[in-house]
Amino acid sequence: MTVDDLCDAPLTEVARRLRRRAVSPVELVDAYLARIVKAHRLRAFISVTGETAKRQARAAERQLHRGETGPLLGVPMALKDLLATRGVRTTAGSRILARWVPRQDATAVSRLRQAGAVMLGKLNLHEFAYGVSTSNPFFGIARNPWDPTRIPGGSSGGSAIAVVAGLCAGSLGTDTGGSIRIPAALCGCVGLKPTYGSVPVTGVLALGPSLDHVGPISRSVADARLLLEVIAGRRVRPASVKGMVIGVPDGFFGQQVEPGVARLVAATVSGLRADGARLRRVRLPAMVWSVAVQLVTLRAEAAAVHARWFPARSADYGVETRARLQLGHLVSGADYLLAQRLRQRLRDELRSVFEEVDVLAVPAVPLVAPRVGQPQVRWRNRQEPVDAALVRFTAPFNLTGAPALSVPCGLSQGLPVGIQLVGRWNDEATILAAGQAVEDRVGRLGRPFE
Amino acid sequence: MTERDQLAAAARAAGLRVSQSELERLLPAWRRYQDLVQAMRAQARRQPDPELP
Repeated sequence: MTVDDLCDAPLTEVARRLRRRAVSPVELVDAYLARIVKAHRLRAFISVTGETAKRQARAAERQLHRGETGPLLGVPMALKDLLATRGVRTTAGSRILARWVPRQDATAVSRLRQAGAVMLGKLNLHEFAYGVSTSNPFFGIARNPWDPTRIPGGSSGGSAIAVVAGLCAGSLGTDTGGSIRIPAALCGCVGLKPTYGSVPVTGVLALGPSLDHVGPISRSVADARLLLEVIAGRRVRPASVKGMVIGVPDGFFGQQVEPGVARLVAATVSGLRADGARLRRVRLPAMVWSVAVQLVTLRAEAAAVHARWFPARSADYGVETRARLQLGHLVSGADYLLAQRLRQRLRDELRSVFEEVDVLAVPAVPLVAPRVGQPQVRWRNRQEPVDAALVRFTAPFNLTGAPALSVPCGLSQGLPVGIQLVGRWNDEATILAAGQAVEDRVGRLGRPFE
Repeated sequence: MTERDQLAAAARAAGLRVSQSELERLLPAWRRYQDLVQAMRAQARRQPDPELP
């Protein structure tokens, strides 16, 4: 395997070869930097920290030479530009923070550094993570590696592009309504939103504080597990899919789904049964309220978070983010509290379903990657805004805080589809085991482009 | 009072200065928001607190 080939390998394989000193971190960084230049048109990166990465790689090489270890020692990574990085500008994809250079790392970043990771740079995102297209008005329209006329999803779009196009070994994203799982599904990689509160969000620019999560975006399920262990600071026990009870909800999660997506998700669930899981139909009738509850909660919380700049610096926001913040100022306190009461019903309903099943299996998103600039999705009997359609199946698990993993399960219309596996609170082990079974059966989706 | 007028009034009441073009952009999102919130309020009315008369 050449160094260039290794750029497409899973992070766990990269780490293994570095530990065995089969490859040098310096060579690896050079290979990734060359690829980043070539893939410029995808607009994955906001800042490339090439010289810093080379310096860190040389230090890692010396450590490896001395026989030192670390789970990520010498592994080149890149981070969503919403996570504060000491001494490296952190823009949040915004004009407002275009020159902000934090004095401290976010906790998750500091844990990656302690594990030995090398940082290649900061990745593009939807402005302030407030949207799901990553069509960024200040740092460029990010492009899906499978078809550059389509969006990569967001808000962690740059992270998913960089992982799929082999521009880093692994990445971190953040997820307030689906911002890890949506780009992972649309670009064909793995995205894990851990249990709410299990990975510290200190040093991450907030969007909706009761909904915000940090998690890995990676090329394999094993990579996601390793990165979770590092950023959560705890081991994730091994588990098996044999005997696992998988809940397949009808109703909300089966409506307004592209037929190609529905077929692939159903086939993947059948595959899990063949691997020894048991399937059970479940009902989650309160989930229809998740759309309204998410909208009210996020609009209000984001308006509160942005009160330091909005409306005072309204003109410095992109038009889309500005409109969302304006709407947030129109949410009443009474409606916010009504939404929180309904949100508790969603949690209670999910909790009782998890008394019967170990995992829920649903589509991560109901459609393949939409075109750049596409405003609406047309279903049989209605139209739906693209951003609303993309978050419809992910946002319920931001509201409930349950862990959720998106794993590629095939191609529809030549574009990736993700299955979403949702688990009990603090039981990432079980969804990772189910995700591993999906990955073993489906395999990697191949290279999107040359 | 049209929907547009209602939105403009709500924005003023919230202390926002919204231009005509911003108002046009905001209107579809405001309509969708209103529909969802009305449904949420109706649901709350259907499920009152059993302790109360």
